[in-house]
Amino acid sequence: MDLSDKIKKLYPELKNEDFVGSSSTISLRDDSDGKGAYIEKWDHPTLSKPTNDQLKNA
Amino acid sequence: MADLKISQLPAATVPLTGTETLPLVQSGATKKVAVSDVGMYGPAFSAYQSVSQAVPSTTWTKVQLQTEEFDTGSAFDSTTNYRFQPTVAGYYQANCGIQVATAASQVICAVYKNGSSYKVGAVPSGPVGFGNTTSALVYLNGSTDYIEFYAYFSIGQGSSAASTDTYFQASMTRRA
Repeated sequence: MDLSDKIKKLYPELKNEDFVGSSSTISLRDDSDGKGAYIEKWDHPTLSKPTNDQLKNA
Repeated sequence: MADLKISQLPAATVPLTGTETLPLVQSGATKKVAVSDVGMYGPAFSAYQSVSQAVPSTTWTKVQLQTEEFDTGSAFDSTTNYRFQPTVAGYYQANCGIQVATAASQVICAVYKNGSSYKVGAVPSGPVGFGNTTSALVYLNGSTDYIEFYAYFSIGQGSSAASTDTYFQASMTRRA
């Protein structure tokens, strides 16, 4: 399960628009360097940024 | 030396290397200039993806482009960082495109400069297509500046590895 799947599992109310476009509040990024995806930006107005433990257990 | 018409001169060997010289008039004096310093003689590259890449959903992902079609200034890294970092300062026109391998998706292309999003292409309203393109005009300082190609799929899947489908190109349009 990749990072975006884990985040959507934790917060099923998230929509694609939360991740892209002029009103996006979350940005996920993968630099293709073998380190995997990470949260580049988390500015969601009501949902808190998931912790590493939450992501690990998702 | 006897006067010669240009038409009487022997033809130069092409392509030029950039070290050849041309005459010009600067501030009323005739001087010489290297071909490499003339405006349109700048780096250009074109690379494409020859090995499909798994792009996770809703994640801006750097596109890996393993095969070069041309790279006149050896400025594109097609093995590790997949970035264009020319050694000539100027304004560069960049083009990129990507297609998905399987399912219709929201596909978006972006040019990143020095690790940050610089220009983002059209954002479709939903998973309506199989590919997208974008372009950007960007200034690069000829030393530390570089550009990369990132893509966004709303539905995670592999990219289409083909010279016609997933590519990144840039060329200098004007010296700094």
